[in-house]
Amino acid sequence: MKLPFWGAARRVFDLSLGEMLWSRRTIFMALVVGGPVLLALIVRGLDVFGMTALRVNGRAVGGIGVFGVMMWMLFLRFIVPVLAVFYGTALMADEVEDKTLTYLFTRPIPRGAVLVGKYLAYIACTILVVLPAVMLVYFLVVPFRDVAGTFPALVTDLSLLALGLVVYGALFAFVGAFFKRPLVIGLVFTFGWEPTVMVLPGYLKQFTIAYYLQALVPHAMPTDGLTSLLQGFFRETPSVQVSLFWLILYGASFLWLATRAVERREYVLEQ
Amino acid sequence: MTNKTRNFVLVSAAILTIGLGTGLVASYMGLPVSLLSSAAGPDDLKYVPQNAAVVAYANVRDVMNSDFRQRFRQLEPQSADRDEFEQKTGLDIERDIDSVVAAFFPNGESIAEHPERSAVVLARGRFEAGRLEALALEHGGTAEDYKGKRLLSHLEQGGTGDGMAVGFVEPDLVALGSLAAVKLAIDAGADNRNVMSNNDLMRLVAEMDSSNAWAVGRFDAIAREASLPSDLQAQLPTVTWFSAAGHINGGVSGVLKAEARDEAAAQNLRDMLRGFLAMARLQTGSRPGIQQMVDSIQLSGDGKTVALSFAVPSEFFDALEALARQKQGER
Repeated sequence: MKLPFWGAARRVFDLSLGEMLWSRRTIFMALVVGGPVLLALIVRGLDVFGMTALRVNGRAVGGIGVFGVMMWMLFLRFIVPVLAVFYGTALMADEVEDKTLTYLFTRPIPRGAVLVGKYLAYIACTILVVLPAVMLVYFLVVPFRDVAGTFPALVTDLSLLALGLVVYGALFAFVGAFFKRPLVIGLVFTFGWEPTVMVLPGYLKQFTIAYYLQALVPHAMPTDGLTSLLQGFFRETPSVQVSLFWLILYGASFLWLATRAVERREYVLEQ
Repeated sequence: MTNKTRNFVLVSAAILTIGLGTGLVASYMGLPVSLLSSAAGPDDLKYVPQNAAVVAYANVRDVMNSDFRQRFRQLEPQSADRDEFEQKTGLDIERDIDSVVAAFFPNGESIAEHPERSAVVLARGRFEAGRLEALALEHGGTAEDYKGKRLLSHLEQGGTGDGMAVGFVEPDLVALGSLAAVKLAIDAGADNRNVMSNNDLMRLVAEMDSSNAWAVGRFDAIAREASLPSDLQAQLPTVTWFSAAGHINGGVSGVLKAEARDEAAAQNLRDMLRGFLAMARLQTGSRPGIQQMVDSIQLSGDGKTVALSFAVPSEFFDALEALARQKQGER
């Protein structure tokens, strides 16, 4: 007797969460996420000794400004897509590579539930590492006196990170389930396609996730550097409702496509 | 789920819960700022009444020691009035005053008509309290104790107001203003009900850390209390908060910031300022010294914020100084 879809997905989730958390990939994730925490410690150290970590036009940037820059440049533009690429594309690819896919597919569970269970485990795993790291960075960088005024922005930031992980994860889960070289495609999308079309005029930027995430960021964008200047010049910010609509639509569509791809694709394990 | 995984999940969830809980409590219940960090701005803010609409600060010592001040000091004429003031009070403003905090607070009266009743000035420095008290008594003033602080006041003969007063709130800090205003300042310090618990204002003060002169405040409160004609008030852009920060050293740099009521109002204000800047650039094209200053003005801002930053380099003042010397030589 086949298990119902969500029951099966939950079983796969339980199994995959532990595997993901204690895999070699988590060491990579710890290094990537530990970087900003270390940076925040340095910023705090400089602050304790009366030095300024970041200056723009010779003027000191306050704690919330530094946090905003770290959120946008480190977390949303780098860490979230990178984690999604490495984890998302590996959801099915790892099982194929390790030749363990047969054990999952021969169970009496829908094939799509395998992917959904693993996808939920990826979200839990990354959120449990990234969000506490952001919390640590926030309390290290932002002076306590500013917490009351900036707390709503932190909540927005945490929600944005979670949303980014969900949407990027769904996209790369589909890439991993559908394409043969998912990692290469994922990296090209993250570091080639998105940064390029974001600075170009026209409608192409609507085929990125960063375009909609950027519209939801509560901090002012850093405006130094040629790329930022070009982005500012061609910036057409969609409204919050439009951004949320497209992000949710992208996330749901790619997850559905990924599930279909897993259900229909004939996986051939190399002997 | 293994024990190792469960522990990891619990630790992560605990960090998130503690962080969010702390933020929530700080945000909605107002944790005392002194709990984990020092308050923003100078300590003297504890004597500024909670309802202050504008707070301004100047680090007099920094400004007086700056190259900027030294440069213009040489051009100042000698003032006999200043010497007389120093002889009578024992106070050399340039040497004895370290910093000044000024605050305006709405009290239902027009700021334009009675500014002294809506303002208090806190000056930190070195004062000869005995000499000042003797001088006040000699000129018909009175001395009294109010909540353990020495208070000197002087009522104008036939005047309708409550006169001017000086309160020695700390050994090196005096409060100046009307008697009622000085008493309010002493109350604010004694009862701990001061501007430091005004989160909106302190948020702006916290951004001023590196400036040696600044002012922050509610624009609408000032416009209302200043008794501006209603037509003019209606024309004023819908600015709620403003801040001005300056750094004086060899040159002068500063940032003027305004927070509009909404993004549309901010965009209108940015457009208006952009127009003014373009006109100024056009007008000053033939005057290189002033053009350099106008070119340094940068308009920025995002969302509801509009910011105007400027930097006047020391070379600009070199040119002014040379011009002044040239005119003196001609005489």
